Amino acid sequence: MKFFLKLLFAYLVLASTAWSQTITVAAAANLKYTMADIAKEFTKRTGINVTVTTGASGKLTQQIMAGAPFDAFLSADVEYPAKLANGGFATTPSKVYAYGTLVLWSNTGTDLSKGVAGLINPNIKKIAIANPKVAPYGVESINAMKYYKVYDKVQNKIVNGESIGQVATYVTTNAAEIGFMAKSIVLSPDMKNVGKWVEVEPRSYNKIDQAMVGLKNGAPENQIAAKKFLNFMSSPKAREILKANGYILPN
Amino acid sequence: MDIDFIETMLLTFKLATITTIILLVIGVPLALFLANSTKWYKSIIETIVSMPLVLPPSVLGFYLLIAFSPASFIGQNLHDLGIDLAFSFAGLVVGSIIFSLPFMVHPIQSALSQLPKSIYEASYTLGKSKLETLWRVILPISKHGIISGCVLAFAHTVGEFGVVLMIGGNISGETKVASIAIYDEVESLNYAMAHQYSLTLFIITFAILLLVYITNKKSLGEIR
Repeated sequence: MKFFLKLLFAYLVLASTAWSQTITVAAAANLKYTMADIAKEFTKRTGINVTVTTGASGKLTQQIMAGAPFDAFLSADVEYPAKLANGGFATTPSKVYAYGTLVLWSNTGTDLSKGVAGLINPNIKKIAIANPKVAPYGVESINAMKYYKVYDKVQNKIVNGESIGQVATYVTTNAAEIGFMAKSIVLSPDMKNVGKWVEVEPRSYNKIDQAMVGLKNGAPENQIAAKKFLNFMSSPKAREILKANGYILPN
Repeated sequence: MDIDFIETMLLTFKLATITTIILLVIGVPLALFLANSTKWYKSIIETIVSMPLVLPPSVLGFYLLIAFSPASFIGQNLHDLGIDLAFSFAGLVVGSIIFSLPFMVHPIQSALSQLPKSIYEASYTLGKSKLETLWRVILPISKHGIISGCVLAFAHTVGEFGVVLMIGGNISGETKVASIAIYDEVESLNYAMAHQYSLTLFIITFAILLLVYITNKKSLGEIR
């Protein structure tokens, strides 16, 4: 018994000395792979650990409003951060860190040469998009289909993933023949060899301007660390990573 | 009340009703086997039946998604037969049957195992065939188990979430059932709609379970 107490004590001492600051960042699902790289660089430079939670921007916003202990939020649009700022949840003004690009992605050998207009192809039974109710990429996927005047014809083929992440699951498992995806996902090391993709013509949808804010929900001492992180998002290193992951950068 | 709400509720109960009927057909023979068999593979079947109780729904959802995909062996063959299960109502029925199986089988099995052997023997002595014994004696006195099984399977299907989330694709009128609709409305900050769904389910579930406990009390009273 004494031995175990000693062991427990030793463990507690070790655990407390090994403690270092950790911030929790909520990020839109399209940032899933990009954030891992950025967080690693940030930790290397500052010693502050970053835990990343990804999901549809709308879902994360709802969770933040319900008190989820996130220290920063990186959305896939400007509206959700604005909503949080208006609701008094933010510690910083909302700032655009990148512009997202929409691609069409298929793992079933579907002909992508006609782009969005080609979705009327009867071989395409299911088109996966991120749920437009909560995911900005889903909203713009619908806008692109409307631009090409195919939305009404293909509406009954659309299946909604809970976020761009679930759309990736639907496409990689071939459950859906084609899906609207973020370019950052198809460029990621895990996905770059899966199927084929083409960019969706940028004029067919609204610019996906992705903004970020610092949050009050987490521990007070984390607010400063979170601001450091948000500043890091504009640093040359972070911009380099964003660019490599297919994002267009703000000036 | 808006159309989407009614459509979603009807779809939910349609799924639960179809699932329960199919489960009843599968569940009774399965429960009879499990209650009476002494075969070596009985334990294996019993384990498989009970697995959905412990397995996370996401495990089931993940495997079903892969199985239903046109790229898989099963999905390919079904596709050739003109059946596409991913993102379809039929797919949800298949998922629900697997997921709710133990809720149908267990109550019936336990009702059947409680019956003394002498009941069977008495019926056989009186010249009744096996089938007649089952139909006229065994099933009627196991009524409370069968009712419990049906209600639990029904209620469990109404409450199913994880599997549907993974294989449904959230399509209105096809795969968007009430539990998914609630999640969807909460996530999009539409609490009024979420309340409407939740309260409706709350009341219906209470009513169904109450009805079962009242009828069970009565039918057990008849036996004693």
